[in-house]
Amino acid sequence: MKLSPIGFASFCCLAVALLVPACTNNPYPNEGGETRVFYSSFAEAPRTLDPAVAYTTSAHVITANVFDTLLEYHYLKRPYELIPALAENVPEPREMADGRVSLLFRLRDGVSFQRDRAFELNGEGIDTRIVTAQDFAFQIARLADPAVNSPVFENFASITGLRAFRTLLSERRSGDTDFAALRADQQYMALGGVPGVLVNGDNELEIILDQPNPQILYWFAMPFTTPVPWEAVAYYDGNEGRDRFADHPVGTGPYALTVYDKQFRFVLERNALWYGAQSEHRDAPGAAFPALSDISDEDIASGRIEPAYAGRALPFLERIEFRRERESIPRFNKLLQGYYDDGGVIKESFDAVVENDDLSPEMAELGMRLDKVVEPGVYYIGFNMDDDVVGRAAGDRSRKLRQAMSLVVDVGQYLEIFLNGRGVPAHSPLPPGLFGYDPDYRNPYRSVDVDRARSLLAEAGYPGGIDLETNAPLKLTFDTGDTSAQGRLRYQFFVSAWRTLGIDVEIAATNYNKFQEKVRSGAYQIFFWGWIADYPDPENFLFLLESASARSATEGPNTANFMDARYDELFAAMENRANDTRRIEIIRELTGILETERPWIELFHPEAYTLRHSWLLNAKPMGLSYPVFKYRDIDPDLRAERRLAWNKPLMWPLYAFILFIVAATLPAIRTLYRERT
Amino acid sequence: MPWISNIAVLVLVALGFLGWRTIRRNRLWSEALRALWRRRRISLVIIAVYVVIALLDSIAWVGGTVSGDVSDAVAAFKPRSIIDRIIAPEAFKELSYSAPFAEAGFYDDAPLNHPGAHVLGTDILGQDVLYRALKGVRVALLIGGLTSLIVIPIALAFGVAAGYFGGRIDDVVFFVMSTLASVPSLLLLIALIMVLGIGTVQVCVALGVTGWVGFCRLSRGETLKLREADYVQAARALGVSHAGIILRHILPNLAHLIVITFALQFTGLVLAETILSYLGIGLDGSWGQMIDQARDELSRDPIVWWNLAAASCALFTLVLCVNLCADAMRDILDPRTRREEQ
Amino acid sequence: MFAYLVRRIAYGFVTVLGVLMLLFVLFFAIADPDDIARKAVGERASAEVYEQWKKNHGYDKPLIVNTDHGAAEFARYTDTLFFDHYRRMLTFDFGRSDADDSPIAGRILAGAVPSLSLTVPLFVIGLGVGVFFALLVAFFRDTYVDRSVLVLCMLAMSIASLIYIIGGQYLIGMLLRWFPISGFDPDPTVAYRFLALPVLIGVVSGFGADVRLYRTVFLEETNRDYVRTARAKGCGDIRVMTAHVLRNALIPILTNVVLAIPFLFTGALLLESFFGIPGLGSLTVEAIHGNDFSTLRTMVYIGALLFILGQILTDVSYTLADPRVRLR
Repeated sequence: MKLSPIGFASFCCLAVALLVPACTNNPYPNEGGETRVFYSSFAEAPRTLDPAVAYTTSAHVITANVFDTLLEYHYLKRPYELIPALAENVPEPREMADGRVSLLFRLRDGVSFQRDRAFELNGEGIDTRIVTAQDFAFQIARLADPAVNSPVFENFASITGLRAFRTLLSERRSGDTDFAALRADQQYMALGGVPGVLVNGDNELEIILDQPNPQILYWFAMPFTTPVPWEAVAYYDGNEGRDRFADHPVGTGPYALTVYDKQFRFVLERNALWYGAQSEHRDAPGAAFPALSDISDEDIASGRIEPAYAGRALPFLERIEFRRERESIPRFNKLLQGYYDDGGVIKESFDAVVENDDLSPEMAELGMRLDKVVEPGVYYIGFNMDDDVVGRAAGDRSRKLRQAMSLVVDVGQYLEIFLNGRGVPAHSPLPPGLFGYDPDYRNPYRSVDVDRARSLLAEAGYPGGIDLETNAPLKLTFDTGDTSAQGRLRYQFFVSAWRTLGIDVEIAATNYNKFQEKVRSGAYQIFFWGWIADYPDPENFLFLLESASARSATEGPNTANFMDARYDELFAAMENRANDTRRIEIIRELTGILETERPWIELFHPEAYTLRHSWLLNAKPMGLSYPVFKYRDIDPDLRAERRLAWNKPLMWPLYAFILFIVAATLPAIRTLYRERT
Repeated sequence: MPWISNIAVLVLVALGFLGWRTIRRNRLWSEALRALWRRRRISLVIIAVYVVIALLDSIAWVGGTVSGDVSDAVAAFKPRSIIDRIIAPEAFKELSYSAPFAEAGFYDDAPLNHPGAHVLGTDILGQDVLYRALKGVRVALLIGGLTSLIVIPIALAFGVAAGYFGGRIDDVVFFVMSTLASVPSLLLLIALIMVLGIGTVQVCVALGVTGWVGFCRLSRGETLKLREADYVQAARALGVSHAGIILRHILPNLAHLIVITFALQFTGLVLAETILSYLGIGLDGSWGQMIDQARDELSRDPIVWWNLAAASCALFTLVLCVNLCADAMRDILDPRTRREEQ
Repeated sequence: MFAYLVRRIAYGFVTVLGVLMLLFVLFFAIADPDDIARKAVGERASAEVYEQWKKNHGYDKPLIVNTDHGAAEFARYTDTLFFDHYRRMLTFDFGRSDADDSPIAGRILAGAVPSLSLTVPLFVIGLGVGVFFALLVAFFRDTYVDRSVLVLCMLAMSIASLIYIIGGQYLIGMLLRWFPISGFDPDPTVAYRFLALPVLIGVVSGFGADVRLYRTVFLEETNRDYVRTARAKGCGDIRVMTAHVLRNALIPILTNVVLAIPFLFTGALLLESFFGIPGLGSLTVEAIHGNDFSTLRTMVYIGALLFILGQILTDVSYTLADPRVRLR
């Protein structure tokens, strides 16, 4: 071993000299100058991509582009408007003689599935198949299948016989082992399918509803009712090295999922078999960019939409790459470096990016665009109405307590501190832009009034926050499943607001597991929650407080367990009503009940700020799940040029460091040399 | 429950006093201590300051008036420690960030309630950073000190018993030890906390379970050696009881090992807590939690550095001082300046 | 020798059984399998789905005694979680993740490559840098170089690893733009860019403790007789250091280092998670956040297994290399 320190040092110097030119922060293998690749990121891989189950934004980013739906939303029009996609028409509900309603979808001809080996179940070498109405019926039956465990079963339960089908399936499976051994599609067939889903030939699908349900059309614009090939469900069972269907979506959409590495990256690649690419469907509303007349002046003026794209055949992007980014700061920095094409503004960088509610000059110079959208959602603090202290059992006392607690939560300050003011203070559950939203409505309990809160608290029997039974401040718990250090700060904000009243609220941060357990057993008092709409209708918000969806009774999403007879009655009258003035009146009355009852302290409607680079074209913000990628395009040359210009490494500190080390050891070497000679 | 921590303070002070007296009577140890004082005066003073802060923060009682313009009506009903009473965090706060010694808010230039008074600035919720850093002292000493104090007697008991008596006892202890030692300690720690839940007691138990093995192995090995020593053999020949031999001859000769390992263990535990905090399973109010809350603040523009700086400096100073003292102690007690196998 | 080997391996196996016992107590006796199942399937799931999930993940049996079987039957004790746990772990049948149903063995295999590509360079470079500086310090012992490096080591040892990572990523990734801030790519022509920064930070954060340890070893060697003999023969300082001291000191250093090898596989937990490298460390962190007990259990088991293996190898190689070591 002839390794001398001097040899080692010179080796190090050589290594440095070799490595310095290799210094680059480009995370991609090739520059990708000419290919149209869109780069995006994901934080956490979705749990499932099964279109019957996937119900999160992170899953819909993929499923909405892989699975075509019967209906879609118009890309540019606001308020949202439905257009036909795999269906040739948006069906008119037709009332039948017995009071039931029929929806008739005519399906596009010759639509085929993406190439996939699952189709080899039909014979060697077969890798695709034409879609028939049967594939839609199969998927709707899957929604009712208890083994699939779809979260939206209740939303489709107005389809005739769906509930009975579910029970029947479950009974037959447990009673009949031969039946249980069949493939899922054969089981559905053996039961004769869902009675309310009629397949008339290959190209007609009729849905029968027990009662009118105007909102159900929106559900046909979500991937839940996409056509699913039985082959894929049967083949991808997770055995013998095959994927699970939840990780291997097979659809008809404009893009196919070709790489799905949950730890690292997803790749969507253009699907050559997409119906829009076939000449007969070129002019379908979902296959071409909207016409010039549909592009608003505002979209053109803001540079969002390139009018030259009007009417062109979709899609434009060749490939979409999602890279894993667990932490928000690295993700945002890569966005600024040009390695992601768009991304949300994070609170840490807000002051650098936004100035006076517009782009800061530095960002404007980089050619960025800023899109602001109020999302159709609401964040709120809820009280568990089943609780003895804050809930209905304590009657008027607890009502006044909730009112008092609502009066001291300063949501303006919360937004300022934690979200840089991105959000609209909420006065009712309904977000702006929804039918029934009243911009002038001011909830009397949602502006800060400490004096009034104090007197209400005294009336409730807690003067100065003192619980007269224990002669100590009233003790409540704020339950959360968020144990992160950052999360804790947010809860502390609310707790200190309530402490001004003399109420002692303890943060019970358990891990998510224990928190769910608490929610299940009803052992919680106060919680912080959010809701993002599935579709733009007030019903999708107000149902969160009806008795029928109470968590304690039905395990529904009404976590506050709010049950009010008058509210339920009004809700039933509003639910399936067309948007008329009477509906507005009912909505007013509903929010009026919430105003005084205070099962929630409505906090805010979130506002998303998205930064987009100048090379990203036709990106219009969408609040709902939607196949957006087929409309987007990028300018790869501009991107390559900017990336190079923005990412020159700063090398002088390295040279300075090396120089310092050498200079520091030099005297010692000299002394030693002298000693020896 | 203030009385537990008040009693703990009492016990600790009493123990400290007893320890002090024992050392004063013992020539070897009082000389070692004097040597340490000569070599590491500053470190010792700093450690003493930390200990005093932690003790002051542990003595708490309910009652007394809450000073200043109070926006927190609950505080008067809570046990407040001496540190709480001196700084009065209920009144000494702002709306959000302010820089050290700032006269106005950091981002909005809003006037502050206490301009120029926040020596280390305020955090996102307007809490005084110095106060939070001081509160972290107790948590750190609790993690490092209390865990070690609980673990050492247990580990010693098992280690000495195994080493001295050998046979079955040794087999059992050695098996348990090697089983625990063969699980990478961070993984074991995580598994324990995941299963036991998050909380001061749970985290200390988890740290204790992972930490006692090192002590135990060391004391077992050393006892094995000492058992064969001439003076122990002589004592045995003279008919001294086992308990007498262990107390008189074995334990005193393990003392220097205990002291050095205690110091190493202490710094290891305090540093490990930061990792746990990053993973979301650390202790509330620790410096690790402060660091984790503050790490994203580096990307703010203009940068918010005082939170991260305060927590990491407090941590760094404590660990450095303990490390320096441990180092000196080893030199003093072990003339061969030979490093013991960890 | 052979008898020793057999005994050593047998003892290792007994230790593995002990580790499995520990895991059983933690993950089945203390953590309730019913809780885990409830969380995994969601609240709204039917009893059918819940039971099916428990069955798929092997949580559907009694803990130690299965009263479905008679007192005389063997199955009374084998058809239980306890027996299953041992059987599955010992046959490396890790089952599926509690969080997302993916096969754990596959994820561990997939995570091993990124983990190794981070930890092997980290290990080798760290060792090289540590030995180099320790040698340098030993060479210049009792000069200002020695003292200042020692002070530096002491300072470096007292900084929390989290601070190194936060600071390093901020300074080098964000301000200097030398390397990507985070991420990974299995393509080796790109991977080095992602790995450079974590490796650099890992080396720097381990620097203090390593150099101090190696320095002590070197100084101990320099005080030995053979060094004096070599000097007396007229051997130069540099030559004494590299040819004699380094070579002899490598044995204690390497034995110390072999024990660190299991950590190559379990990965540098913090580094991986912070820099988004999809290795075993990230897997563990994800398991923590996702309450994925089965993955966590497996990771602890694998970590322990490798450690025990490493210990056996060290012991055996030690007896082979050094005839003075008695076979017990």
